Amino acid sequence: MAILVNKKTRVIVQGITGQSGKFHAEQCKEYGTEMVGGVTPGKGGQEILGLPVFDTVWEAKKRVQPDASLIFVPAPYAADAILEAEDAEIPLIVCITEGIPIRDMLEVKRVMNGSKTSRLIGPNCPGLITPGECKIGIMPGYIHKPGKVGIVSRSGTLTYEAVWQTTQLGLGQSTCVGIGGDPLNGTNFIDVLQLFQEDSQTEVILLIGEIGGDAEEKAAEWVQRFCTKPVAVFIAGATAPPGKRMGHAGAIISGGKGTAAEKYAAFERAGAVITKNPGEMGHAVVKALQKK
Amino acid sequence: MNLHEYQAKKILKKYGIPIPEFGVASSVEEAKRVADELHLSHAVLKIQVHAGGRGKAGGVKFAKTKDEIGKVASGLIGMKMVNEQTGPEGVVAKKIIISKPVDIAKEYYIGAVIDRDRGVPILIASPEGGMEIEEIAHKMPEKILKMPFSFEGKLRTYQLVRLAKFMGWSGDLAKKGIQIANGLAKCFIETDASLLEINPLVQTVDGEITALDAKLSVDDNALFRQPEILSYYDPSQVSPQEAAAKEFDLAYIAMHGSIGCMVNGAGLAMATMDIIQLYGGAPANFLDVGGGASKEKVAEGFRIILSDPKVKAVLVNIFGGIMNCATLAEGVIHAAKELQIQIPIVVRMEGTNVEEGKRLFRESRLKITTADDLKKAAELAVAAAHTKR
Repeated sequence: MAILVNKKTRVIVQGITGQSGKFHAEQCKEYGTEMVGGVTPGKGGQEILGLPVFDTVWEAKKRVQPDASLIFVPAPYAADAILEAEDAEIPLIVCITEGIPIRDMLEVKRVMNGSKTSRLIGPNCPGLITPGECKIGIMPGYIHKPGKVGIVSRSGTLTYEAVWQTTQLGLGQSTCVGIGGDPLNGTNFIDVLQLFQEDSQTEVILLIGEIGGDAEEKAAEWVQRFCTKPVAVFIAGATAPPGKRMGHAGAIISGGKGTAAEKYAAFERAGAVITKNPGEMGHAVVKALQKK
Repeated sequence: MNLHEYQAKKILKKYGIPIPEFGVASSVEEAKRVADELHLSHAVLKIQVHAGGRGKAGGVKFAKTKDEIGKVASGLIGMKMVNEQTGPEGVVAKKIIISKPVDIAKEYYIGAVIDRDRGVPILIASPEGGMEIEEIAHKMPEKILKMPFSFEGKLRTYQLVRLAKFMGWSGDLAKKGIQIANGLAKCFIETDASLLEINPLVQTVDGEITALDAKLSVDDNALFRQPEILSYYDPSQVSPQEAAAKEFDLAYIAMHGSIGCMVNGAGLAMATMDIIQLYGGAPANFLDVGGGASKEKVAEGFRIILSDPKVKAVLVNIFGGIMNCATLAEGVIHAAKELQIQIPIVVRMEGTNVEEGKRLFRESRLKITTADDLKKAAELAVAAAHTKR
């Protein structure tokens, strides 16, 4: 069954005429995703990769009825692109763009919190994939395999690493969701955990966190109270120095808060299987399954 | 991006926040000139570095006479400050701020940050200033007031009333305090700040309120629309490697170990540092070459890693997604040949075009060890760094 996306999901790309927009639209299409169009203001009426291009998301919505929009718009305009997609009532908005100013995200967050029609994934994320069915993002498709592990993560390439490990162990994934490395994002850990909890295909959950903020602590609390499925956890940044922004805007230990140690402790209390070795994320999932 | 105190004060002044008269000097002559211009008979001199704890480190001095100002300045300019925040390398003060001293009756704290959880900017205030806000929060949490404010940088009237009461301000003092809170909130939004602190904010014996210190950090992602703030960038406050990395748009952070790391993606880069430590080594740096890095960027990353003399081995860990493993291999080989690298290199690659990447390494005839998984790569890198040559 998987979560959020499947082979019927119809996808448009905002920023499809840009270099990365075009490249990844093609990659998603090759993977088998139902791509139905693209949006670039001023380029309406053109065709790219055999897909119609529209000037606005609203037109795309009317003409090709997308379920999801994948955003590659440059950072200074990306917040606007998200708001446009929400305004057009696109149910799933996936923003890959990295580097959106926090001030712009304040407004986006306010709108998304009140939205009755749309969910945002990202920004600054690799997107999401239901292996064998639908890829809406920039992850390499071939490392995935349909299966029973639900993966949710704040990272990109570290998620690929985890996916690869679970694929090699023969477990496969139900759906993998990258929620992004920014301090302010749309869908959070708990939203995805809830979906995995209700999904019949997902038998075990792998959560990959990072230093900074307290999203992991909150997720741990939720796991402890509501999650009946086994959970495995890795937190990146145990060696990160305080006060330094570790690549991701959200990955910073400030005022002694947001350390990996605190996050691990929270998940230990919640009864999750934790591993401090990123080379053993797959094994942690196996261990979690055995605990069931 | 962090700003110096004098830069933050210049900005705060524009928002109507009272600041004791000050000047900036990078030489003794300049310091004397500032003293003349401001008619200072005595002064407070503070080093300008991107680190806290200046007072304890001896970077804040008082000059009792006009003649003393030059003498004190000569001791502070060029001073290297070393503490927990700066790391063992320390930071050098190229500039000092020279301010007119004030007679303090009471110290307060006022600042603003983004509340990540709620997605709103919040004002933080305390009638107990002069120590770090974390310390206040720890010792007397009841003495901290937090209030969200609008995205336009406005506080509501009831919030200002509450703030004045909480801080113990009334009459004229309340008016002045409220003006400062309003200015601070507006400044926070308009400068795309991620942190803005006035600590201490002081009440003087003659009933004025003024900002004795100021700290401003601005969202790096918003610098494209903050030209004034961008012009305040001071590369002397970071390591030469960090400054070079910034030029090439690479995320680099210096660490204290011996294993250089080159990784794509922030999460994987942190995880690579973690696993090195787990296997008994110590990372020399964090380096994220980014998603779509070019051959040139990879080569530049390599140059930066190797310019750190502590590096005894390099671990390259790339999970190709957008990034093509062949591009990485070309970049590494190019840099290794050009720089005639003598230290061991361990490469672990997976993902897009991995076979081609591996072939390029094999045919380069460079002494590069490849590993098939992360654990093996970490083991090999740690062993290589420990081997005496």
